[in-house]
Amino acid sequence: MITNALGRKLPEEIPGYGKVRPYEGWNLRKPEGHRDGPRIRATFNDRTDKVLPDIKTAIKASGLQSGMVISFHHHLRNGDYVVNAVLDACAEMGINNLTLFPTALFGVHKHLIQHIKSGVITKIWGSVNGPIGQLVSEGGMEYPAILRSHGGRPRAVTSGDVHIDVAFIASPTADRYGNLSGVGSRSSCGSLGYAHTDALYADVVVALTDNLQPYPIANIGISQLNVDFVVDMESIGDPAGIVSGTTQVTRDPLRLLIANHAAKLIEASPYFHDGISFQTGAGGISLAVAKFVRDAMRERKIKGSFGLGGITGFFVDMLKEGLFERLMDVQSFDLDAVRSIAENPNHVEISADWYANPWNAGCAVNMLDVVVLGATEIDRNFNVNVNTEATGALLHGIGGHQDTASGAKLTVITQPLLRGRIPCVVDNVYSVTTPGEVVDALVTEYGVTINPKRGDLMDAAKEAGDVPLISMEELVEKAHALTGPMDPVEVEDRIIGVIEWRDGTVLDVVRQLKG
Amino acid sequence: MRLRRTKLYLPGNNPNMLLRGHLFGSDGVILDLEDAVALSEKDTARILIQQVLKRGEFGECEVTVRINGMDTDLWRQDIEAVVPFGVHGVRVPKVENPGDMQLLDEALSEIEDKAGIAQGSTLIFCLLETALGIHRAYDIASSTKRIAGICPGGEDLTADLHTSRSDSGVELVGPRRMVVLAAHAAGVCALDTVFSRITDEEGLREETEFVKQLGFEGKSVIHPNQIPIIHSVFTPTEKEIDKAKRIVAAAKDAAKRGLGAVQVDGKMVDRPVVKRAEFTLQRAGITQEEVQ
Amino acid sequence: MKTTSAGTIESMDCLVTVSEGSPGSGVTVAITGSSAARFSTAMKKTVLATAQELACSGDMTIAVQDNGALDLVLAARTKAAVLRFTGGAA
Repeated sequence: MITNALGRKLPEEIPGYGKVRPYEGWNLRKPEGHRDGPRIRATFNDRTDKVLPDIKTAIKASGLQSGMVISFHHHLRNGDYVVNAVLDACAEMGINNLTLFPTALFGVHKHLIQHIKSGVITKIWGSVNGPIGQLVSEGGMEYPAILRSHGGRPRAVTSGDVHIDVAFIASPTADRYGNLSGVGSRSSCGSLGYAHTDALYADVVVALTDNLQPYPIANIGISQLNVDFVVDMESIGDPAGIVSGTTQVTRDPLRLLIANHAAKLIEASPYFHDGISFQTGAGGISLAVAKFVRDAMRERKIKGSFGLGGITGFFVDMLKEGLFERLMDVQSFDLDAVRSIAENPNHVEISADWYANPWNAGCAVNMLDVVVLGATEIDRNFNVNVNTEATGALLHGIGGHQDTASGAKLTVITQPLLRGRIPCVVDNVYSVTTPGEVVDALVTEYGVTINPKRGDLMDAAKEAGDVPLISMEELVEKAHALTGPMDPVEVEDRIIGVIEWRDGTVLDVVRQLKG
Repeated sequence: MRLRRTKLYLPGNNPNMLLRGHLFGSDGVILDLEDAVALSEKDTARILIQQVLKRGEFGECEVTVRINGMDTDLWRQDIEAVVPFGVHGVRVPKVENPGDMQLLDEALSEIEDKAGIAQGSTLIFCLLETALGIHRAYDIASSTKRIAGICPGGEDLTADLHTSRSDSGVELVGPRRMVVLAAHAAGVCALDTVFSRITDEEGLREETEFVKQLGFEGKSVIHPNQIPIIHSVFTPTEKEIDKAKRIVAAAKDAAKRGLGAVQVDGKMVDRPVVKRAEFTLQRAGITQEEVQ
Repeated sequence: MKTTSAGTIESMDCLVTVSEGSPGSGVTVAITGSSAARFSTAMKKTVLATAQELACSGDMTIAVQDNGALDLVLAARTKAAVLRFTGGAA
């Protein structure tokens, strides 16, 4: 067993994963060598139409075999039809032992459980949510799920840690020569940011669309250079599940209270001035923080530089109002964002590589001033867990948590202290997603808890005078007093999940639940 | 002098609200055993409130329990259940009769005695929700030393007056004025009724400004989002704070020099004016030590 | 069969149901819901202690359906449900 820099004990090698490189520090691992690449194809003017009539034909044409690695993006979110349809086709064609390499999975993908049980899918390299996560946590797969962040995934692909055999890219609009766009159709998803790396690095790229348009289409996100086949499908997804109407700010008083405290911290920080850039989540407390910060920006006549994310209509309105100069969009959450990215040249699509990969000449999160994130747990050392729930089940992906926390000058976690009787503040997190060295503050309904490493922030908050402060010691004691002692989670030795840091080192492992 | 700008109603059978109510910064909370709790659940709610009083926290809030009306047979069990566990006071609905307040006073004394609590420490706040209650406001307010505040009702009062609630609120203006007069004559607080249109922030602000000008000290609150708005109305302006500072400074100065009379801007200033200035500073969150 | 209950399954509450137990079984406790995974031990302790404090003789089964109740809420709901069952007063 080896112990990593966070004190987590890890085996030297994990079956289904390989040799373990233990986490050393948030920015210590140095890359070597050159980027990996796709096989080289030659294409001449005897082939001007890449369209195939159905998925099975495309699978045959792609040369997909049992044992290969296939990838998908998650821009169609819970309205996606494509992942399920492709795996159904593989099952019918007798292709199995596949490694599924999605950028994320949603509830709609619980359909895949039958393919996991039948051996069509034998590995998942990506987040496992809901019913799939529960299955994995109970030992339903032979090999562990490997979790990577939005930045860690393109790092793995571009450095050759993961080589994609066939990438399946659902595309709201496409032309017959393989130009793809995330807008222009009834199943528009906006940015196709997460699909870019797959398109550039997979050996074979299969696009799937329900909206073929004449060559060449407008608003090209992924180009013909990288796309081998285009499947003309009935429907790639359900619009209602792809994007929400308009994202609303919460009216829940407890969430507003927390958001208010967080906004006060941001306003007191050294970063609240002209040119500020920030990123928040799509809902709940995070979006409410954006509202309060926006109100303060209006009052103090402050103009921001860029908004990053995860873009909602709220940020679009800020762009229109002139509170941001640009929006950098790796994922469009609602119809307003989709409309904006299609029409507004100041709202640009960026890839996951651009957004968050630490192994390039500079990703977007490095220029971020403030990020507001959530957590299921946070501990005395400010280590954050977003992956496992109180039951010990692996139920959530990493998302961009590690990347934004590393890049932003001010990383704020907002969370109610209690969810029911479960405390979010504990002595030690059950599993680590993001190490405390990149987390600056926690905000609960009891106030703002600043990482002692940030003496500058502490001073700024005290000077502002309207930031309610509470120490981590007090908060942990309060949580203990409110909830009482917790029974430990009972686990087997078997590892069912590996949590990588964005540089490919291993932060932690998740073990199978007992019983 | 305790600030009573806001009192947040918390349904007495709702653990979520009882446990979190104090986080929203109101000056007081009202744990409601009356309208918020169904008849069949009064017993459960009493036990829950007991536990919350014993083991929960309320920060700096003034904690009162709205008991059931004295026209029911529930109020005795209510006070027996909650007073021994430590409340600042009880709020009584539909008060019409000073005699009832004397009866309540005696019952509270008995409980305080048995529980070893300081005699007279449990305050009474009276809700005047009928024409008769409003009419007898002064007698009710001066019926016992425990009375700390009186409040006009809203819906019930309007119904008793055989009219309806309008946007302008003209039907309640008269009763409000009577409550303010009676309260100040008897030396107790005048606290206004709830504003039920939760999403109407402008409407809340307007009504709060109006009742403040009439002489009320605060309002009951049914949603935490109302609290900051009401507090901002009751928070003194820069000009008011400035003036108050000068008055208090002058009073301190006079006291230091052993002078009886206080002068500000060439004018004599009475003791009550000094007291009001001190209260203004308190509402602004400025301590007297800070004033030179 | 005689059963009584107190509480609700709303957020931060629990529904405690008391029913007749099989003869000689004493007080048995069953816990389900969101706190069960990590707080069963503490919850069982509180339910048994509360029943004992009320000096319960007689066999009863106490079932707790939890939705995130803190210990003081569990104690309150248990006390109320048991008192309803035994017909005692608070």
